[in-house]
Amino acid sequence: MRFEGRCWTFGDNVPTDHLVKSRYVLEPMDEIVKHVLEDLNPDFPRHVRPGDIVVAGRHFGQSSGRAIAAKALKATGIGCVVAETFARTFYRNCFEIGLPALEVDTARDLAHDGDRIRADLTTGNLENLTTGQSGHGAATAPFLIDMLSVGGLIKLAAQRPELFR
Amino acid sequence: MNLVERILARASGLRAVEPGQIVIANVDRLIMHDLSGYLTAEVYDRQVSLPVRHPERVVMVFDHHFSPPTERQAVVLESNREWARKHGINLLDCGNGNLHHAVLRRGFIQPGMVVVGSDSHTPVHGAIGAFAAALGNDSHAGTVLPFGKAWFKVPRTVRIELAGRHQPGASARDAALWLVGQIGEGELNYAALEFAGPYARDLSFWDRWLLTLLCVDLGAKCAFIEPDEVTEAFVRSLPGGTLDLLERSDGQEAAEVLRYDISGTGPQVACPPTVGNVHPVEKVAGTPVQWAELGGHGGGRLEDIRLAAEIVGGRRVHPGTRFNIVPSSREVFAEADRAGLVLALHEAGATWFPPSTGSNQAYNMGALAPGEAMISTHARNFPGRNGSPNAEMYLASAATVAASAVAGVIADPREAVPPGGRQRDGRTGDRRVP
Repeated sequence: MRFEGRCWTFGDNVPTDHLVKSRYVLEPMDEIVKHVLEDLNPDFPRHVRPGDIVVAGRHFGQSSGRAIAAKALKATGIGCVVAETFARTFYRNCFEIGLPALEVDTARDLAHDGDRIRADLTTGNLENLTTGQSGHGAATAPFLIDMLSVGGLIKLAAQRPELFR
Repeated sequence: MNLVERILARASGLRAVEPGQIVIANVDRLIMHDLSGYLTAEVYDRQVSLPVRHPERVVMVFDHHFSPPTERQAVVLESNREWARKHGINLLDCGNGNLHHAVLRRGFIQPGMVVVGSDSHTPVHGAIGAFAAALGNDSHAGTVLPFGKAWFKVPRTVRIELAGRHQPGASARDAALWLVGQIGEGELNYAALEFAGPYARDLSFWDRWLLTLLCVDLGAKCAFIEPDEVTEAFVRSLPGGTLDLLERSDGQEAAEVLRYDISGTGPQVACPPTVGNVHPVEKVAGTPVQWAELGGHGGGRLEDIRLAAEIVGGRRVHPGTRFNIVPSSREVFAEADRAGLVLALHEAGATWFPPSTGSNQAYNMGALAPGEAMISTHARNFPGRNGSPNAEMYLASAATVAASAVAGVIADPREAVPPGGRQRDGRTGDRRVP
């Protein structure tokens, strides 16, 4: 399961509060999406394009466990999010709502804003096509690949209810 | 197997489980607050068309609002009430307290249960010996509500052995903040944390709660303290309290052990911008604070209110500072009233708010103007969480919050000796040696 796109980088410990600000949480998604990560990089919500890849540092998506944070990031149109580590609820939510996520502990060292990046969830490989550097994370659990392939947990449960009976 | 593995094995109908394994387990309790509940209900109504399998296992608590300040928020609450009625789930409406305190005090959480919720601090319930983890709304809508189940990766366990005794004037809250600073945010990602050792064992139930509360900031999936006589006595004090589901570890050594000596730990403050930016109070003492608050997941306990009253003593809250007190449950407010603390703190200039989660994210109270600062017992301090991104949130113990409310600046509670100077271990009165 491979994704290729233009890179946007962010730092360590980015909380979900920067993905969905508390004052927008009850607004419609087309309003929320205009403010995703704007306090860290005002250009991001304005200029992000479909298929771009977000590359962050450690503990990305800490704070709230609400899936709306992952949904807002997905709504920007990015193809994949990569981080050195994710906060676990955020990682879980990404797969449950259909946003591909990959952990690679050297991700920040090899990615720079604007580089072309290729992320492979099946193998755990991360390549910078601009610089030729590469890194390696753990392969994604087959259960999670299955979940992404059908579009998230709710669809998985609808298609294979026997898993949960 | 340890407590977490035993609970997950039983709940998924397996003889044994091991770290890394993905299991599908029965859920005993789903807890949601007014915001996560609303978002979950939206997803459920739109994308899942099945009846709720076990409505009696689901409880929603309105804690981000005690009285909606806008029509939009009133509509959210009314929609939640209608959804709760339609599906027959338990509802604790406005005024019942902070989500985690309220469900615990009402007997919804018991040892050995599988507890899930979207509030990220759901793992706090490991204090009572439950397996408690935060899941997202789509887990609740997709599998917990319609099937009564959830998927879990069995976590690896890290035992944190705590020895020593915090310095006089410090508390378990300071020890917990200090640990986050020492270990680092997100450093124990996905792990189950077992808090053990003489320090953890000697704490009261409500002080153990402060340890499991902060596990999420270390990145943990869940945390627990092996149930003992403190746990059992606390469970017996709960309505419907039962040890029927209780599980204990089989005594096998944890694969990973971290050891810390608490002895040097004095009052600590988590400074902006994140919970891991922890410093001794001396480093930030003197910083002006316009707001001080006892409340949220980490405060508003009877212990906090009693300690605040002792620290304030016969003095008054500083004229430049507003001191908010938010009881964590109705029960705590009643206990504080019976102890005479409500009037004492009111007359000292503090303001009482309804049982709720207080200024958490400023949905109902606690927005800050640019340049303002708040010191509180809350669990989070990210910029922009409460009004202006140019306001500052400091997190500390009830003693430090109360001392700061009186001083008008962040203050060392060891220097805030009330008239008559009480001497009591770990509480007020131990003047710092210069």
